[in-house]
Amino acid sequence: MSSASATAQVKIQLQTKSPELQIPKEIGPILVRTGFKRLQLSQLVNTLLENGENHIPLQFLINGQYLKTTIDDFLTQNGISAETTLSVEYVKALIPPQTIASYEHDDWVSSVDVFSSPQQSRILSGSFDGLIRVWGMSSDLLATGTGHSSAVKSAKFISPTQVVSSSGDRTLRLWKYEDSDIGTASLTPTLELYGHNASVDNVAVHAPSSRMLSASADHTVGIWSTRKSDAPAAQEELIPVSNKRRKITPTAKPTATRGPLTLMSGHASQVAEVCFDETYATIAYSVSWDHTLKTWDLATSKCVDTRTTPQSLWSVCHLPEKSLVAAGTALKHITLIDPRVSAQTVSAMTLRGHTNAIVSMARDPNSSHQILSGSYDGTCRIWDLRSVRNDASERIGESVFIIERDAVRQAKKLGTRREDIGGVKVFGVAWDAEVGMVSGAEDKRVQIDRQT
Amino acid sequence: MAQQRAGQKRKVVEIPLAEQVEDNVLGNGEFDEELAEDDGSDEDEEFDEDDVEEDEELDSDEEPLSEDGEDVRQQLRDVKTSSSVEIVDTDKDPDTDLATNGTYTPEKRPADLSNYDISVDANGNPRYIYKDIEPNYDTDDSDAPITKNTIGNIPLSYYDAYPHIGYDVNGRRIQRPAKGAALDSLLDSIDIPAGWTGLTDPATGKPLNLSREELEVLKKLSRNETPGDGYDPYPDMVEYFTGKGMEEVMPLSAAPEPKRRFVPSMHEHKRVMKIVKAIKEGRIKPHKEPTAEDLENEEQAQEYAQYDVWANEVPRPDHAMNMPAPKLPPPGYEESYHPPPEYLPDKHQQDEWEKQDEEDRTRDFLPKDHSALRKVPGYAKFVKEKFERCLDLYLAPRVRRSKLNIDPESLLPKLPDPAELRPFPDHRSIEYLGHKGRVRTIAIDPTGEYLATGGDDGTVRIWELGTGHILQKVRLSTTDPVNIVSWRPVASPPILAACCADSVHFIVPKDSATVAQSEAHTLLTAGFSSAPAIPTKSATGVDKPNPSSWHTPIPAHASQSISLTLSLRSTPKTLTWHRRGTYFATVCPSSSSPSTAIAIHALPTHTSQHPFKRLKGLPQTALFHPSQPKFFLATRQRVRIYDLQAGKLVRELLPGARWISSLSLHPGGNNLLIGSYDRKLLWHDLELAPTPYKTLRYHTRAIRDVAFHPSLPLFADASDDGSVQVFHGKVVEDGFENATIVPLKVLKGHKVRGELGVLGVAWHPREAMCVSCGADGVVRLWA
Repeated sequence: MSSASATAQVKIQLQTKSPELQIPKEIGPILVRTGFKRLQLSQLVNTLLENGENHIPLQFLINGQYLKTTIDDFLTQNGISAETTLSVEYVKALIPPQTIASYEHDDWVSSVDVFSSPQQSRILSGSFDGLIRVWGMSSDLLATGTGHSSAVKSAKFISPTQVVSSSGDRTLRLWKYEDSDIGTASLTPTLELYGHNASVDNVAVHAPSSRMLSASADHTVGIWSTRKSDAPAAQEELIPVSNKRRKITPTAKPTATRGPLTLMSGHASQVAEVCFDETYATIAYSVSWDHTLKTWDLATSKCVDTRTTPQSLWSVCHLPEKSLVAAGTALKHITLIDPRVSAQTVSAMTLRGHTNAIVSMARDPNSSHQILSGSYDGTCRIWDLRSVRNDASERIGESVFIIERDAVRQAKKLGTRREDIGGVKVFGVAWDAEVGMVSGAEDKRVQIDRQT
Repeated sequence: MAQQRAGQKRKVVEIPLAEQVEDNVLGNGEFDEELAEDDGSDEDEEFDEDDVEEDEELDSDEEPLSEDGEDVRQQLRDVKTSSSVEIVDTDKDPDTDLATNGTYTPEKRPADLSNYDISVDANGNPRYIYKDIEPNYDTDDSDAPITKNTIGNIPLSYYDAYPHIGYDVNGRRIQRPAKGAALDSLLDSIDIPAGWTGLTDPATGKPLNLSREELEVLKKLSRNETPGDGYDPYPDMVEYFTGKGMEEVMPLSAAPEPKRRFVPSMHEHKRVMKIVKAIKEGRIKPHKEPTAEDLENEEQAQEYAQYDVWANEVPRPDHAMNMPAPKLPPPGYEESYHPPPEYLPDKHQQDEWEKQDEEDRTRDFLPKDHSALRKVPGYAKFVKEKFERCLDLYLAPRVRRSKLNIDPESLLPKLPDPAELRPFPDHRSIEYLGHKGRVRTIAIDPTGEYLATGGDDGTVRIWELGTGHILQKVRLSTTDPVNIVSWRPVASPPILAACCADSVHFIVPKDSATVAQSEAHTLLTAGFSSAPAIPTKSATGVDKPNPSSWHTPIPAHASQSISLTLSLRSTPKTLTWHRRGTYFATVCPSSSSPSTAIAIHALPTHTSQHPFKRLKGLPQTALFHPSQPKFFLATRQRVRIYDLQAGKLVRELLPGARWISSLSLHPGGNNLLIGSYDRKLLWHDLELAPTPYKTLRYHTRAIRDVAFHPSLPLFADASDDGSVQVFHGKVVEDGFENATIVPLKVLKGHKVRGELGVLGVAWHPREAMCVSCGADGVVRLWA
């Protein structure tokens, strides 16, 4: 049997969607041995591409599933006849991410953001101790921003010199970031934004239009301006009268305060996350504990569309190429929602694999097919939206890679019990083309993983 | 000469008749009239003579032929004279003319001579002796001679008005043959069929068809010629019946039956008489004398029959008083006289069987092999066996057991599939770590953002529900545990009541908005101005210590955002808020006097009431009705419902539990859940009986806490066995349907420490999430 299958051949039609990997047009269906695995196919395509020495590792998608075994096994598993011409799509292989560095904090890390340029990359982290920190790439703490009286829930770069943070103390703060010397930098608060009545759990930034969005536990979504001149004055009663910190530090002159451009109410429960539509900056998506994904028109400050799912949504990420919005649920899965009005069903696809709530998601900067998710189960997962199987009622995607926390990996090696490590809930993830995948978690660390 | 000729001619006619006739017809009908005329007169005369002479000679065998010949001749004569086709009477025969003369000559009977011989009897009358009719050949047979007309001399024209033309010998009508229409006959004449003569057979009325050979023979005969070429007019006599050795002995005779045929045989009579004589004399006995043995057998048989009570049994309908005897099982292979070898016991088994006590044997015989059935000896135990069988039937009482063919699945109540009842918490989501020692109490604030817990370490901790991050830690005591935390059920401003030792502390979370904080503070401290504590005087005049006192917190507490402290004189174990958040009740089971055990406090005025002066049983826990002024108070074994406005007992529930631990009221207000330390969870429908509507015994240890979901049809209980069980409990408000209770999920994860498992459970106000706290110091969110 094995000898027979080793010599058996199957006709495959190779194709790809990435233009730089196109094989010559005249190559039609190719007969390959069914004993081939990914590596042999990859070598075959590289030969066709005449790449010479520098081989590009490739992966192969057959019927939306990655080829992980031999073709023969794949055919038998999926009940496909070897007589048919297989349509095989090849993509650049994903390399398993590897942990490069981890930056230690004093408290749980609630959010991470990355600003990268070819010259220098900066990592911003917000922590539950109320501080925001900027890190260089060599695990060097460049600057710390103090000012929030409660946990920082979200922190984002607006520009290389401007940072915004939101906190449980119901404020957003704008910071000026300056690289002063080699190895040091400064974070100075420039603006305090008052307007929310409860913890501001998330902030989204659109630098070109200098707009920010905030998601708050007071059920509202706030629109803010990053410029001091644009912003209206804040409501007086929201500004704390006696700030102890200010009393203690008499030198600091009070930071300017501003209010929101608009507070958009409509959610029935606390708003968990908000994000801009990546193609149209006047559209935003917000998810809430009230099970809904709302589409907002920022120009009119109106809710355009509401999609109700069966569970609380705790994170959101817009995928412009697929015209989908990924929403992480308080249960164990990610629902991909088509926010367009024409969409008939709420859930276009479900990504299953996490074992706990998904609280943060990030898009692959290089590809439109992959997203990264961080979950309370202590893992980050990379999902490929091409890898789909159809279940009875829904389309289900499975994760491609699982990034565990470094501490868990160590514990597994050493055989330590899971309970002794403590919590490893991931609170925030970011994916940058230069830096890689950055995640902050309950283990008080920012972990950087990269596919090298 | 004429006689001779006629004889000769007759013989000639026998064979080649057809040819002659045909010739004749040809000559006759179409072209040869002259010829026919020539043949004419002399022939007639000749025939006349011939016939007369002939008839005298006729034998029965030859008669039909001669008649036919005559008919033909007659017809030919008619043709000659009239040349028209008509049915011609046979009666115009010269021989019938003779008959009409009056002198009857039996020899000249015209018809059916084949059937009988005619002779003259003694009186000179004709006697018809019919030949025997062979039974197999009836008149219906196709071989039977064709029907002959028996109408005699009556002209056929007499029958013109009838559909028949006469009668056959058996009296049946001879039907007139179907005649074609004129056109048909014309067509027939044009298209002449083979053998057409234009004559009609007078006997049948059908057209007479003669073959060419027949006509030829007729023609030759009429010309007195030899009928055919190969005709020998003088053949050699063939001696069939004469001559030597050919004498025929006639087998049949008409002799009368001999007398001996019908007279009894003398010889037989003699023999019979001989036997009769012997019987009379007793030499021959008519039947065998029964021997003594035979008599005995007969008697036995009769006796046996007397005792066969079932001999005449008729099947009776099934009834408890009339039960048929149970059937014996059919014999197996072992009981065969010639069993298969595998059923035969070997030596060892045989010994074993013989050694065994008779009562212990599994079967009471040993299989034995006999090569043939006739070699089988008598069954030694037959009588014994039958006796025992009878004994069984007679003595053993027979009870009819109706066999229950019930599918056990069908007995289970029809419950919906848990998968259809989603959402409900089914996995652990977030752990809130930090408490040292048992976590005794847990509460989620009305907005669903914060979680408060209190434990043995004397701290109250407020957590962010969604992240598991601690927001605030309030240390109330270093020695006493926090027994109760309870959020004021109004969302804003957030106020948390926590009971530690004998005081109740009101905490305003410092994380809440400044506006809310100030609001909460004013709300809590407003009572100081409005209601100055009036010390009550006892009968002796000494200031009776006030059972409850409201005061500002001590500085250590005030710095931890505690705004108000209420001191009671014993440790409250239950603190339950009224829906509007203005009143709350405390229950101190350890209180010395029952009157102070239960207190209802008004927060805005800082006043306390003790509505129960006397109470039967030890108070355990209490509840406010969500919409009506009703108060539920649980003692160890009873739950009493009081009307607060009327100040009287409305109802008493009898849950049947030995020690009630907790109560939870459905948000609709008509269903009460009671958890008890004796492992029972009791669902009371307040519109039904005071006894429980459902008793759920699913825990192996005491139930500590029970909670209804504020909005979804869910409830959960926490038990010392370390599990939280989630149930679907749907209440239909119209009251026509009872509540549906479906066990959904057992949430396991808490460890049992020192006999204590999960101590508290609480629901998120909107989501299908619940939190639980355990003796292991862990607080968990289940989603």
